[in-house]
Amino acid sequence: MRRFDQLAVAVLALLATGIIAAGSLWLGGYDPLVAGAAMFQGSFGSGTAIFSVTMVRAVPLIVTGLAVALAFRAGVWNIGAEGQLYAGAIAAAWVGLSWGNAPGWFLTSATLVAALLAGAVWAAIPAFMKVRLGIGEVIPTILMNFVGIYLAAFVVHGPLQETRGVFPQTDPISDAARLSVLVEGTRLHAGFLIALLLGVILWIGLRWTHFGFQARAVGASPEAARVSGMIESKRVLLVVFLSSGAIAGLAGGIEITGVTFALYEGLSPGWGYTAIAVALLAGLHPAWVVFTGLLFGGLEAGAGAMQREAGVPAAWVSAVEALVILFVLAGDQIRRRFGA
Amino acid sequence: MTEVLARLDGIIRHFGHVKALDSANLEIHSGEIHGILGENGAGKTTLLNILGGIIHPDVGFVEVGGSRVRLQSARAAWKMGIGLVHQHFTLVPGLSVLENLALGRRHRGHRWKLHLKEIRKEASQLSELTGLTVPFEASIEELGVGDRQRIEILKALLRDPQLLVLDEPTAVLAPAEINQLFRLLRSLAEEGRAVVLVAHKLDEILSIVDRVTVLRQGRTVMTAARADVDTAILTDAMVGSSSGDGEAPATPDSFSALGQNSDGLAQNRELSNRPVARLKGITVYSPQGGLALQDVGLEVLRGEVIGVAGVEGNGQRELALVLSGRQEVASGKLEIPEHVGFIPQDRTREGLAADFDLTENVALALHRDPKFRLGPLLRWSLIESHATKIRSRFKVRSSGGRTLARELSGGNQQRLVVGRELSQLPELLIAENPTRGLDFTATAFVREELKRLAHDTAAGVVLISTDLDEILEVADRVFVILRGKLTPVPSVHDSRETVGAMMLGSRLETH
Repeated sequence: MRRFDQLAVAVLALLATGIIAAGSLWLGGYDPLVAGAAMFQGSFGSGTAIFSVTMVRAVPLIVTGLAVALAFRAGVWNIGAEGQLYAGAIAAAWVGLSWGNAPGWFLTSATLVAALLAGAVWAAIPAFMKVRLGIGEVIPTILMNFVGIYLAAFVVHGPLQETRGVFPQTDPISDAARLSVLVEGTRLHAGFLIALLLGVILWIGLRWTHFGFQARAVGASPEAARVSGMIESKRVLLVVFLSSGAIAGLAGGIEITGVTFALYEGLSPGWGYTAIAVALLAGLHPAWVVFTGLLFGGLEAGAGAMQREAGVPAAWVSAVEALVILFVLAGDQIRRRFGA
Repeated sequence: MTEVLARLDGIIRHFGHVKALDSANLEIHSGEIHGILGENGAGKTTLLNILGGIIHPDVGFVEVGGSRVRLQSARAAWKMGIGLVHQHFTLVPGLSVLENLALGRRHRGHRWKLHLKEIRKEASQLSELTGLTVPFEASIEELGVGDRQRIEILKALLRDPQLLVLDEPTAVLAPAEINQLFRLLRSLAEEGRAVVLVAHKLDEILSIVDRVTVLRQGRTVMTAARADVDTAILTDAMVGSSSGDGEAPATPDSFSALGQNSDGLAQNRELSNRPVARLKGITVYSPQGGLALQDVGLEVLRGEVIGVAGVEGNGQRELALVLSGRQEVASGKLEIPEHVGFIPQDRTREGLAADFDLTENVALALHRDPKFRLGPLLRWSLIESHATKIRSRFKVRSSGGRTLARELSGGNQQRLVVGRELSQLPELLIAENPTRGLDFTATAFVREELKRLAHDTAAGVVLISTDLDEILEVADRVFVILRGKLTPVPSVHDSRETVGAMMLGSRLETH
């Protein structure tokens, strides 16, 4: 019943977004049908589109979406997935570059572990501010995003800049550190499996485990959790916050080892923010995050094709993503007020 | 004389799958005090909320002053002269009492300016007139529920309503304050206004009302003049003859039904009279820095119910938290068992997570019990069957374990919390106003259960209540808490008047 309601909210939000999106295209003098067809063609229209573009684009969205969903379920408003992703990407690039001679399996794992740790460290600062000092996490996590983005920029202009010293990017990481390709002839890499696995782990973790229940309880009602006398809320919040940061960091590590093989400025087009839409549309449910992540991956994949075929600026897709957030939030409120 | 002030006709209202009201009617005459009676979940609060414009009926209509109206919002209801005093408080925590009283009020002639001074003058006049004393400058979060209740009533009266609707206003007031409130309501009625009142103590409500309406499972089953009914007739009407299950007396195996074997019971009996909790020289500061508990000493023995009486805001909140191990003390020695059962007074915020379903809410209290765990996993099927037992034993009316806590009526929420805590057979149970919001059969049931827990399983029970009758009925030993100090009352046979004076006398001094 409840799950059905949430699904209804998601579907209606998408429908409303679609209508407004089409309307705005029409008002802007574009043909919504041509644009829509181009978008579909570019995202789900062919095997290449699906495996090499949509699914590849979906990986960081799913992983950061999971990071956000986990945090939000426990009432931790981590808006800092973007910065945590950059922290993970920096760490992954550094390990991938400097330990180039290590054996492949070890190097790949070490790279991803470094990304996890870096993401957790990035989240640790706002996490301690929240738990120890009682400072709300929203502003600190947002601010840490800028620090992360510019730290990456600094690193590729300075200490980790490529040996040629021309472009603001690192040298490519060693082949041994790269994630393997899943489907021959496409760009789909093992990071997608990691994303799926993570989705399953979080789903089981939140639904069935002791700790997951505590995390949900703290999110559902901090007072009831505290008064139950059974839950050390601060510890739960800290663990969730750091895990969320680690997962977002992992997204950065996967992107480096699976797609770009190098760190450069503007690595992420704002995945850490889109992740919020991905998570909210999924009703903060890890299993659904995989689907909404794919949907948004398709949206971003189609944006390029749409720009080429129908002349619609790709930035328009960002506006569409924001509309999804607004409609999901509005729909949720309406459901609460007038529904059950 | 009997002019109809407001009328609700054929009201139907669903919440999800639950039919809260099923063709309910209510007619209110001007100049009367009208009592609404019914068991938990009968739809009383929903009906009141419809009158107050908070909830809109699915079917049926509302008439005020002879013409049909649509009460779209609380504001619309206020404009029609209907003032609703909520069961759950609607005060803004960050603001002072005065600012809360000023909410939603515009001063004649000053559209844009907030005239706190004039509102204060008006409020203190009204406060003097009605005897509802509140500290105007205090911030809401510093105040206990008793004060908050008085503020809510004052806030409603400031808007000069023709029809004042009160949902359980007496639950947190001391006896003398209840008398004061009733005198006030009577004088309002004599001015030609009308008062609608929900209260759970049958005697209490019968002592003031002119007419009563009885709801049962969302239907109006009776409307009668006070003179034509008595307790027995009303009880029958509330419970209904068909179901006949008002509240079955607890069966002898009530506790063993929830997992206690008889050996355990026998062992427990031997343990009686040994101390289960000890407090010595406990001092606690309130968040605002004042002394909340002052050198409190208390020994709770197994097998006894200790009653702590007092007017809200005298430190019982802190005492409950300290005894249940949920608050650290500034100084003193505290010995309590590892697990203490706790029935907090604010069930909607502290007892339950509103967006969790019933099973999850039960899990809140027992998810650490090794019995319900398998490594890192929780054994949800076991928790679910435990929750089902609680629901049936404590008669939590719901459409199943997946029902969300916020979909339950107030009384059913309380039954769930009480059931959850009692079913764990704690060595020590702290209950804070555990029957607040329960109907009289459920109240009797909970009180009986508290006694049984103490006497049958040799648990120590501390009952902290603002309801003096409850304390005197249930407790083996009685204490009075006043300004953070705990004073024993020499004998349980001490009269209501003596204890009441201990609770209140000094309070009157302080003001």
